[in-house]
Amino acid sequence: MDKYLAIFKISFAQEFAYRLNFVMWRVRNIMQFFLIFFLWDTVFSSPSTQIFGYDRPKILTYVFGLIIVRSIVLSARSVDIAGEVSRGDLSNYLVKPINYIKYWLTRDLSSKLLNLSFAMFEAVLLFIVLKPPFFLQTEALQLTFFVFSIFTAILLFFLLMFLFSMFALWYPDQAWGASFLLFIFVDFLGGGVFPLDVLPVNFQNILYLTPFPYLLFSPLQIYLGKFDTLLTVRNVLIGAIWVAILSVMVNKIWRLGLKVYRSEGR
Amino acid sequence: MKKISYYLRIWWMMSRNSFLAVFYVKIALFIFLTGKVLRFVFFTLFIFFLVKGSQGLAGYTLHQSIFFFLTFNLVDITSQFLFREVYRFRPQLISGDFDLALVKPFSPLFRSLMGGADIIDLITIPPLIFTIFYIGSQLTPSILHIAFYVLLIVNGLLIATAFHIFVLGFGIITLEVDHLVFIYRDIINLGKLPVDIYREPIRSIITYLIPVGVMITLPAKALMGLVSPIGIIATLGIGAVALVASYRFWNFALTRYTSASS
Repeated sequence: MDKYLAIFKISFAQEFAYRLNFVMWRVRNIMQFFLIFFLWDTVFSSPSTQIFGYDRPKILTYVFGLIIVRSIVLSARSVDIAGEVSRGDLSNYLVKPINYIKYWLTRDLSSKLLNLSFAMFEAVLLFIVLKPPFFLQTEALQLTFFVFSIFTAILLFFLLMFLFSMFALWYPDQAWGASFLLFIFVDFLGGGVFPLDVLPVNFQNILYLTPFPYLLFSPLQIYLGKFDTLLTVRNVLIGAIWVAILSVMVNKIWRLGLKVYRSEGR
Repeated sequence: MKKISYYLRIWWMMSRNSFLAVFYVKIALFIFLTGKVLRFVFFTLFIFFLVKGSQGLAGYTLHQSIFFFLTFNLVDITSQFLFREVYRFRPQLISGDFDLALVKPFSPLFRSLMGGADIIDLITIPPLIFTIFYIGSQLTPSILHIAFYVLLIVNGLLIATAFHIFVLGFGIITLEVDHLVFIYRDIINLGKLPVDIYREPIRSIITYLIPVGVMITLPAKALMGLVSPIGIIATLGIGAVALVASYRFWNFALTRYTSASS
């Protein structure tokens, strides 16, 4: 446990070593927020508008909630895994007494802590400037389920990232390709660009069979109280089941991948 | 004319090499093409269901809203197809390989800007133009409005060129390229939908100061007959000023190049 705590501290300190990179990354997040915020601000320009089951406060809370939830769930150092594998740097870790999967999970958690603190500051600043109506959830039960769903989403995204990064074990030259696809799925099928209930019900039902809605959309729906208790429990459970399925898959594919890993580039 | 032909031959030679490199790794071609198509389809579906559900967007109909998004894609994808080499400029600066571009008997700006056309983007352009033609024809534009649209798209591409030259110049001075080019992408992404959705002063800023509106929204509005001829002339002026300013900045940046890594 001590060694992972040390990794957490070192990784946190490393983020400050590349300050410009970090600031630029945060600036990019704000730019992406603008399009989504103003789009919904226009659609719900009249306070009485009710579309797709949202009113103005709830949809703008969804958009603001995205800043926070994205920073917790999607900020991750594990995006570097594929690059490490393709450069052959993975070999350095294989000879060390650490678990490679736990190593990257620890680094992800340190990145999330830093990103969350900045995202909170940005959200407050944008809230003061844009003055949107805000839905404050006060039900303790909903908030508890929200925290559970965030915890599940963090693990889910990490496992998906790891799974897609392992593509580089078979195709070292194409490290970035699979991650590129994953980010598109997460943004569009996870509710990162728009809430999924904009889509027709049949389409939504199919999406619920994939792990993506449990990353961003489902936690925010739970916060907004749009699910009743039964549906909330069901969503948290399905998210947890996906974590279990992906854990098994990651472990199996990781073992298979190591057999074909050629340490190219070393 | 002779010079244009000379540069066209060089461009074709560099582009052919770039295309061959992509075709060599077919799995990459497949993944990135799939990703780009999916991204396009997902966002189009989103606009479709959104505008259908909300009965319009900022006063625009479904066809008009989709047309704005298609125009955004035309400018964005064409500039990515032409200027993909900008994304690879930083390693050249860091390694000192940019020296090799400086000693060649043609413009280092041309080499750095257009030295690696992207075949994956090129593949998506013909179906995109077909879709623009189809959706655009539903808006029943006049010949004059079509001419304005084409003129302003060319102008939008000139502004995109200026943006990329600015990024190259900043790269030489600061060695920072990657984030700048992605911030440019984020800025231009604000034009996926008409700039009318933004509140003031952001609307004015992204229309004129960071001319996303001039690059994307105005061409689409011109096809819909919503831009006056004076507006079009002013827009062309912005394009010309941006291009000249970026070229001067590039020349200034070259004087700051230290060749430190070579």
